[in-house]
Amino acid sequence: MEFEESGIGEECGVFGCVAAGEWPTQLEVAQVLTLGLVALQHRGQESAGIVTSDGASTPTYTSHKGMGLVSSAFPPEALLKLRYGNLGICHTRYSTTGFSELQNCQPFVVDTLHGKIAVAHNGELVNSRALRKKVMRHGVGLSTGSDSELITQLLALTPPMEELDTPDWVARIKNLMTETPTSYSLLVMFKDVIYAVRDPYGNRPLSIGRVVPISKLHKEDTEGWVVSSESCSFQSIGAKYYREVLPGEIVQISKHGVQSLSVVPRPEGDLPAFCIFEYVYFARPDSIFEGQMVYTVRQRCGRQLAIEAPTDVDVVSTVPESATPAALGYAQQSGLPYMEVLCKNRYVGRTFIQPNTRLRQLGVAKKFGVLTDNFAGKRVVLIDDSIVRGNTISPIIKLLREAGATEVHIRVASPPIKFPCYMGINIPTKEELIANKPQFKDIAGYIGADSVKYLTVEGLVSAVQEGIASVQEKEDNMSSNKVGHCTACLTGKYPVELECRWMVIIGALF
Amino acid sequence: KSSQSEATTSLFIFAFQLLAAGQWVKLEKTTYVDSAGNTRTWETVKRTTRQTNTEADGVGIIALLKRTLHKDCVVMVKQFRPPLGSCTLEFPAGLIDEGETAEVAALRELKEETGYKGEVVGVTPVTCLDPGLSNCTTQIVLVNINGDDVENIHPTQQLEFVEVILLPLDEFQMKIDDLLQKEKIVVDAKVYIFAMGMAQAFFKPRELPVLKQ
Repeated sequence: MEFEESGIGEECGVFGCVAAGEWPTQLEVAQVLTLGLVALQHRGQESAGIVTSDGASTPTYTSHKGMGLVSSAFPPEALLKLRYGNLGICHTRYSTTGFSELQNCQPFVVDTLHGKIAVAHNGELVNSRALRKKVMRHGVGLSTGSDSELITQLLALTPPMEELDTPDWVARIKNLMTETPTSYSLLVMFKDVIYAVRDPYGNRPLSIGRVVPISKLHKEDTEGWVVSSESCSFQSIGAKYYREVLPGEIVQISKHGVQSLSVVPRPEGDLPAFCIFEYVYFARPDSIFEGQMVYTVRQRCGRQLAIEAPTDVDVVSTVPESATPAALGYAQQSGLPYMEVLCKNRYVGRTFIQPNTRLRQLGVAKKFGVLTDNFAGKRVVLIDDSIVRGNTISPIIKLLREAGATEVHIRVASPPIKFPCYMGINIPTKEELIANKPQFKDIAGYIGADSVKYLTVEGLVSAVQEGIASVQEKEDNMSSNKVGHCTACLTGKYPVELECRWMVIIGALF
Repeated sequence: KSSQSEATTSLFIFAFQLLAAGQWVKLEKTTYVDSAGNTRTWETVKRTTRQTNTEADGVGIIALLKRTLHKDCVVMVKQFRPPLGSCTLEFPAGLIDEGETAEVAALRELKEETGYKGEVVGVTPVTCLDPGLSNCTTQIVLVNINGDDVENIHPTQQLEFVEVILLPLDEFQMKIDDLLQKEKIVVDAKVYIFAMGMAQAFFKPRELPVLKQ
């Protein structure tokens, strides 16, 4: 819950669509793109952008970018001008610190030697500082501070072996992948294809879906291909989940279908590093990663938490809504009843009404109300998915005690965050993280709970990887793909060497 | 004065003379009085198939194929027409059989010619087709086809010499012009006029329902 309260976010969502069959297509590509973005709205609410193309050899690109939610960023006139597309990519952006400007909105469109390309990017380059210098030394000017513009310019650079008239996009993308190891999930639109790319560590997610007719009997007909940060977007447009883009893979999606062009390997011995927090918090529960559903993983985390940190209480509950699967898992494992104890006002909080500190202190603009009947006179264990600063859970504990809870215990379905993330999650500075403060030694006292326990890193990793192991056993040809997750914010072990030495030093000095 | 003009109207046509008759069509000489009081004749073509209990000879069908997340498409047929000596692009059409209403005839003809199963959403009054030549009348029936329905995905036609053409309603006129560039066909006047009407109607941007709250 605290991620939502504090505004810690995943940087973005990307989505793309290519119509299959004859062009000009009868598929409403702009509508598919818009609905895909709406399904990815949880990954970014600051702004959204769509670029569609007619896919001709000298294509006409139409783009529209807007601030705010998808429903306000795209007025009807905007959708009308986008409707001639046969393919397109789009992007939702998360609030980052600093000024939000329309020019920073993706997708970026640039003219290269071989024609226009459009790029949508999810992630953050770990070596952006050095890369910016390199690109500018080549004489390229950058107009924003964004990594995504940097990627677009890197793709526009001619790779050493390329012949004059034939663009070799696999070579260009591979060139980019050698320049920067992580993190990026990319959609690159060029002429009549979309290249879907995932960095060799697979830090950010990307999966492919197949658009089929609504009727159940004709699921073999392919009306189009879609690619998305999360598979939850596929159902809203009548698409079937097809497969994930593998770490390091370059996939070409065209009207003829999906073709894997290359898989760039990691350096010897390195494991993949899929962001474990996608499972813990960021992704929508109905999305599928590594063959498993996010909801199921969260439930397993709750079960594991019950095994590691059982509590002698009467009722299991949660802070609505993100920790509900974990709370249900905890209740199932411990055999205790699950009850709702809090009622959430979704119109108060980060996105809508921002009460100032005084109002918050007075408790006037409360986000939560208590369902007293469910817990008065009882001992409660509250499952939450994160405690980052510790200042949002304490008023809730106070509320519950005042309403009659005899004991309030907190169990957190993720390990404490101690280190910064350089791969696209805007975790607060190290000083603000509760796990790094001296108060952490008596965290229960600090937040006013009877006891506080976190899930261990080993517990989290086993809950996540348990589902993958069973899938791997079924697919023997995949046995060469190892399994690995990035837990840098929990352990301080980063998947790649970071840009500046000082980052590593500070990371070690918690 | 008005009652007098009513009396003269009923006396306008007063004689038919059969000149020739075939199996489907006949030629008559019609004698009539014009508004100035002069007696005149007119060569008239009539169908031999007109039913006694129906108002019109036949139906024309404007059918819209509607599929989720797809553009609405107009269903048309391309076929060889001996009187012209070339292929035409027309709305599906057919004669009304005995005991049929216009709506029933329309859905039957649509199914036979295109394989689609539709639902009637409107009917025009009886309209004339070529009044200087014949007394032939038609009613245009407006039909929606649920393209998400299993029956309407890859439908099987019952007539082999009729080709089904689907064109998006959006920019209908432009798509017809594109087709004319590529093929030697003659477009039916009803189709082209409908396309021009649509172009006028879409001139103002219309709201797309995708993001309505």
